[in-house]
Amino acid sequence: MGAILSIAKTTIGEAIRRRVLLVILLVGVLFLVIAPGLSVLSLRQNYTVLTSFTLGVIQLTSAVIAIVLTVYLLPNEVERRTIYTILSKPVYRWHFLLGKYLGAVGALGMMMLLMSTVLVLVFRIMQQQASMDDVLQLATAPIFFFVQMSLLAAVAMFFSTFVSPIVNFFLSGGVYLVGTLFSPVFQDLSNNQTLPAAVKGAATVIHSIVPNFAQYNIQGGIINQGPELRSIELYYVQIVVYALFYIAAFLIAGMMIFDRKEV
Amino acid sequence: MNLAIETKDLTKTYKTSSGPQSVVKNLDLQVERGEIFGFLGPNGAGKTTTIKILLGIIDSTSGEASVLGNPAGDIESHKKLSYLPEKPYYYEHMTGVEIMQFYASLFGIKDRDLCERLLNRVNLGNDMNRPISQYSKGMQQRIGLAQSLLNDPELLFLDEPTGGLDPIAHIEIRDLILKFRDEGRTVFISSHELSDVERICDRVAIINKGELVHQGRLDQLLSGGRIEITADNLTEDVANKFRGDDFTVSFKNGRLIADIPDSAHPGEMLDAIRAANGDIVSVIPRRKRLEDLFLESVAGDNVLKGRKMSKMTDDHNAAEAVEVAKEEGAN
Repeated sequence: MGAILSIAKTTIGEAIRRRVLLVILLVGVLFLVIAPGLSVLSLRQNYTVLTSFTLGVIQLTSAVIAIVLTVYLLPNEVERRTIYTILSKPVYRWHFLLGKYLGAVGALGMMMLLMSTVLVLVFRIMQQQASMDDVLQLATAPIFFFVQMSLLAAVAMFFSTFVSPIVNFFLSGGVYLVGTLFSPVFQDLSNNQTLPAAVKGAATVIHSIVPNFAQYNIQGGIINQGPELRSIELYYVQIVVYALFYIAAFLIAGMMIFDRKEV
Repeated sequence: MNLAIETKDLTKTYKTSSGPQSVVKNLDLQVERGEIFGFLGPNGAGKTTTIKILLGIIDSTSGEASVLGNPAGDIESHKKLSYLPEKPYYYEHMTGVEIMQFYASLFGIKDRDLCERLLNRVNLGNDMNRPISQYSKGMQQRIGLAQSLLNDPELLFLDEPTGGLDPIAHIEIRDLILKFRDEGRTVFISSHELSDVERICDRVAIINKGELVHQGRLDQLLSGGRIEITADNLTEDVANKFRGDDFTVSFKNGRLIADIPDSAHPGEMLDAIRAANGDIVSVIPRRKRLEDLFLESVAGDNVLKGRKMSKMTDDHNAAEAVEVAKEEGAN
């Protein structure tokens, strides 16, 4: 466990100093800061636009950071030969992979915490009439984005055990897009009794393999508060357990591939 | 025999588009405990692949490899060995002591004093709190050696430990390696620095295209030196008498330069020169060097003969230049 945590800590130290990630983070923070200025241009309700825009910025920025951060973690270690020094110590390969993943999630969490802090500050300043409950509810969304991004990082980590960083970037990005935009569609198709068995089967397979990232976008409920979030605590527990299951599955599959990989 | 490393018929084959390609072929290595073992070969000979197999980073296709009595890659062996890769990279945001603490933590060691002691041992005591990004190449190599001592290893794998270092750093690293042996550790060095290997290694193995060409004690491998005989005032007929399979003879303007094996009874040649009223200028015994053995092993006889001839031509030209200078001085 000590080796895993040490590798994770070192990974965080490296990640938070990577310029490309800091630039992406800076752009995200910049958009959060200028968001109030953009939202006043909208004809719609100011609060709705501001919430939607800022949460969208956090989600998009975090997704790009999660992918860019994770796809290079293993290849960089091989290219710089640090992996050989580490694996020649009494460290199992799964220790290494898990340490790298936890480090990526840790760095991602720190960056998302910064963006969330900026988000709350922007709202406290621009929406002074908003209650503390509103702000707390708003702050819930990034927490689930973090769960979502941890899942995305596990997907990218899995792919990084057997594809190049560039291919991984598009694969992970593709899985994220499909899981965010089309997961409900595949779910509906797999439940549709009128469809041919082959189509239903294919939809079921895709729906089972590609994680449903869409369910972590809870800002819909925050922006348009309605009946769909009535059993909210149970829903939250369910989607966190779902994420943990998929993270474990992707990491175990990645560990099995990485264990046989010639580095 | 008490072996630190042993391989039997070790083979590594990769599948390529042009068919299977073996980078290590039936390699039989024996590295004794407490010795410095040089592992030599040209680029692409299979040295790093062999080290990776011994460390368990990659698997062999066939054959056996044991390290410190355990199968290669066994985690128990990893507690007692260390590896310093060629051109190592360290996380640049960390300081020297932080790097040491990181690697110590991989062994479950939480002893900052040990880290500092080892940094002092490699003369980095004053720089331990500086970021690695400010370290010179020699300092990075020294911290590499320091981290390789964290677990008090019985066996060290050093891949090109002196590569690209300035002469002072070079000597420092070489001296450290000798101290490792004095402490009873086994050191397995892969290197292109033949003069270093010749100076510090007890035994060597030379591989070429994945195959073992030579393995043994340096003094045994380097036995069988050559003798260079230079004589003046001879005719070409006399010179032609000495030409033979393992004799390299050049003749120009009455000067003969012959390079013969020391087993070839040079006395007979000297008698013949005297009998022909020639003047013996010099008789220089030349010990076989590791460089010669290496070239014999990896480049083939033609290259070696060409190199000898080239050297003799250089000597000949140098001798002529001395004579011309003497004549000019006399005039």
